[in-house]
Amino acid sequence: MAGPLAGVRIADFTVHAAGPFCTHMLAQLGAEVIKVESAQRPDIFRKPHPVYGRLGAATFDQVASAKLSVRLNLKHPRGIELAKHLVAQSDIAAESFRPGVMTRLGLGYDALRAVKQDIVMLSVSASGQSGPDSHFAGYAPLFGAWGGLGWLTGYPDGPPVEMRHAMDHSVGLHAAMAAVAALHRRRRTGDGSHVDVCAREVAAAAAGDALIEAAAGGTPRRWGNAHPRMAPHGVYPARDPDSWLTIAVADERAWLGLLSVMGRRDLAGDPRFATEAARHAVRIALDAIVADWTRLQDAEEAAALLQQAGCAAHPSWDTPHIAADPHLRARAAIVDTTEPDGTMRAAVGVPVRLSATPPRGIWRGTPQLGEDEDRIFGDLLGLDVGARRSLEAEGAIL
Amino acid sequence: MNQAAAGPLEGIRVVERSAGVAAAAAGRLLAAMGAEVVLAEDPAGTPLRREPPFIGPGISALFAYLAAGKRSVVVDGATALHRLADGADILIDDTPVEDRVALGLDPAAVRRRYPRIVHVSVLPFGASGPKAGWRGEEVNLIHASGEGYLLPNGLSVELFPDRPPLKIHGHFACWQAGVAAVLGALSALWSSTGQFVDISVQDAALAVGAFAIQRLGDGEVEHRTTRSFRFGGVIECRDGYVELLTLEDRQWQGLVKLMGDPDWAADPALADPVSRSAKGKEINARIRAWALQHPVAELVARAQELGVPMGRYNTPAEILAGPHENARGIFAPVAMLGLGPVPVLSAPVRFGPDALPLRRGPPDLGADQRLLAQPAAEVA
Repeated sequence: MAGPLAGVRIADFTVHAAGPFCTHMLAQLGAEVIKVESAQRPDIFRKPHPVYGRLGAATFDQVASAKLSVRLNLKHPRGIELAKHLVAQSDIAAESFRPGVMTRLGLGYDALRAVKQDIVMLSVSASGQSGPDSHFAGYAPLFGAWGGLGWLTGYPDGPPVEMRHAMDHSVGLHAAMAAVAALHRRRRTGDGSHVDVCAREVAAAAAGDALIEAAAGGTPRRWGNAHPRMAPHGVYPARDPDSWLTIAVADERAWLGLLSVMGRRDLAGDPRFATEAARHAVRIALDAIVADWTRLQDAEEAAALLQQAGCAAHPSWDTPHIAADPHLRARAAIVDTTEPDGTMRAAVGVPVRLSATPPRGIWRGTPQLGEDEDRIFGDLLGLDVGARRSLEAEGAIL
Repeated sequence: MNQAAAGPLEGIRVVERSAGVAAAAAGRLLAAMGAEVVLAEDPAGTPLRREPPFIGPGISALFAYLAAGKRSVVVDGATALHRLADGADILIDDTPVEDRVALGLDPAAVRRRYPRIVHVSVLPFGASGPKAGWRGEEVNLIHASGEGYLLPNGLSVELFPDRPPLKIHGHFACWQAGVAAVLGALSALWSSTGQFVDISVQDAALAVGAFAIQRLGDGEVEHRTTRSFRFGGVIECRDGYVELLTLEDRQWQGLVKLMGDPDWAADPALADPVSRSAKGKEINARIRAWALQHPVAELVARAQELGVPMGRYNTPAEILAGPHENARGIFAPVAMLGLGPVPVLSAPVRFGPDALPLRRGPPDLGADQRLLAQPAAEVA
């Protein structure tokens, strides 16, 4: 399976989480992604990560998988020259350094356009390529804070909540989308573009309705697990310790379904709960009634019964539940990959199922540093062994 | 309008039938990137028109956000919908699986009628698999995909350890599915092969939660009570909250300077990252006591000078007034009935120095009914 993006080549200068997730998604869709690193400046997954208790290189790194690997020293003039040769053979050049770094390296948009007139340069950064804060460094929790999603998330009587890797990877997903959009423009007009993906704007975009509410003079609030229209709506305690059942009553059918599964059809005639608006007004009392029931239920069984009765429900799942789920596996949203030592582990697939050009998926794990230099430096860029050895000797390939 | 400002998807025609946020988000992103997106609505209008929060009589902020830049046509029955879809490049639909055949919207029927169309299905649990028929709202889906169980972390779970886990504000999971749907649609279109694209909100939210699955493979089951940084995180200041994260040694040195080189920080036991982590709790108590004495604006300004990653937990109003946001022009004023122009975030990606424009506000129901009467080629 080649995937819909077969034939698209990406010179991938991204590091850390957001940028590499972007090119990883494109790689699963069939693009040939050539990850550029050096032994001096390897990406984080090749180094110990004490915060997560990892003492050496990762044996598998989701966002580095399905990619090719070459070494290039971007601090060396001939390394830069080679990087430009690679870009000249590519459709997309992706990077996630602080704004200005690529230009300082001699790999800014103008320099890349000079070697490939219609190149799509994809820049992923915390605060965008322009504006007074563009030089700010940031991690996912800061994107979430700047973009408002952190302030809006939380218990109504508590503090804001820190966004984590999901925020990084959301930025990467947006970047992947934008990259393919830019390819379409190139196909139509012949023009490349410099795509600017700004992480704090990605966070803000997920709360665009709250921004409109504020702009129109309203005061957006922190809803926690509650909803401005639906009730019951929330995360309710189930029978086992730390097990939880989510329920959302979207309409009358769901309301009557919930009552029948709870064995509380008597409440259907209760004037306090006669309409959606009435239920919402007394939602705290209603939540208590629902929780009295959920406390006695197995979350999985209750969710299945509620779904049969037309009420949206699902357990709050930890990762072992997710990795083992038959539905997610049937959809290849969860796939197995093989570690170098032969053990299997779960990974996530690209969240796109295509009937005619199915994604290529995770066709290889994490490449060794420089594993694909024969193919890229040799076959693609036409460097013979002697030339490569001398570039290694002078430190351009390192 | 020059090429760059026009958006990269100029000329691409999209018909969107949406009752939920995910499918509407897909159309919204396509519209912001320049595609011509027609919202095909039942005579009662999409339910999103009736979703709170409201910003005026009958004006939904959610609908205003998701429908900005689109056109609206009322389609009464399958025939009108099919007339609209003639000549479209992309059809987005979130009709539940069980209702599709009656509307001629099952994949086989769409394929027969429009062999070249990219038919994008957007459903809570997707169109195939054992749970394809399940209903799902945002709260169900963010918890079905892993991130819900892991929230809140840090200060919030410290304060309320016994409360239920928490969803992210608004429609985060559904928004990811909208992005995934656009990625899928544009990839299918790139391959020049008409086909069925099956998007699941659960899959999309799980994909952006990939790190928790990575950790599982590494042998660690993440939990909201333990996935906190040892120190830093959400910090309360005199007049608001900041996020503070010092992952590198030089950032810690900057933080010490920011705090005014307190004696406790000079403890040689805090010199290396590993022992700092071990004393995270004590360090955080010190940071919290210090930060409470200072206003946010003062701290974040100095933190940036010292290279300390620290940012304000912005309220929506602060973002609207943000100098950085406004310098980048991320808000486009769009007209809304009875309200005049309201600034609306156009899109979090751009294809040159300028933000993408929003060509119009949310359409009135059936505002573009004339499109039904025109041959496809004349629609512009």
